[in-house]
Amino acid sequence: MKKVIILFLIVLMVLVSAIFWFLSEGSNAGFTDNLHFLIILLIVGFAVFIGFRRLGSAKRREPAEDELTKKVLLKTAAWSYYISLYWWVFLLFIKDRIEIDAELLLGTGILGMAVAFALSWLIIYFRGAIND
Amino acid sequence: MTNKIKEYRARFNLTQEELARKVNVRRETIVFLEKNKYNPSLRLAYDLSKVFGVSIEALFSD
Repeated sequence: MKKVIILFLIVLMVLVSAIFWFLSEGSNAGFTDNLHFLIILLIVGFAVFIGFRRLGSAKRREPAEDELTKKVLLKTAAWSYYISLYWWVFLLFIKDRIEIDAELLLGTGILGMAVAFALSWLIIYFRGAIND
Repeated sequence: MTNKIKEYRARFNLTQEELARKVNVRRETIVFLEKNKYNPSLRLAYDLSKVFGVSIEALFSD
């Protein structure tokens, strides 16, 4: 239960900061800003989904984490780490060829890592954790 | 790997939630096991076989 509260607090902080940032951009917000904001919303949505799943488990008095959740998380971490490496290599490749702001590059890199984690989790979760 | 958890659970008249509570896992884990989407640890396989009073070999097969 404590972990769920922490998760929702983090989600709230991320959401509030993202909204302030997006509003401060105002009419200057370009395509990449809109895209970044959309990705942040998707990640927040994913975190809320995880939070409600954990809340449901707590209500049923089940353990918040068991061997399946730990295994899915372990596989997700391994996959997303691997994808992130290639993602950063790709961004460094792009950086040398296109004029790109350092702030934008870092933001895209970090958001890409978060998307890689969320997608890996969804794939592994729906495919199942079979030792193949 | 396939298993007979669903069959034994029906025989013992247990819900997925009740079985999950008996072996201290989430209900979701039982759902995944019954759909053969998860291979349990030796500890969980042992706990499940103990609940049903059968050997691990009787519950799980290749």
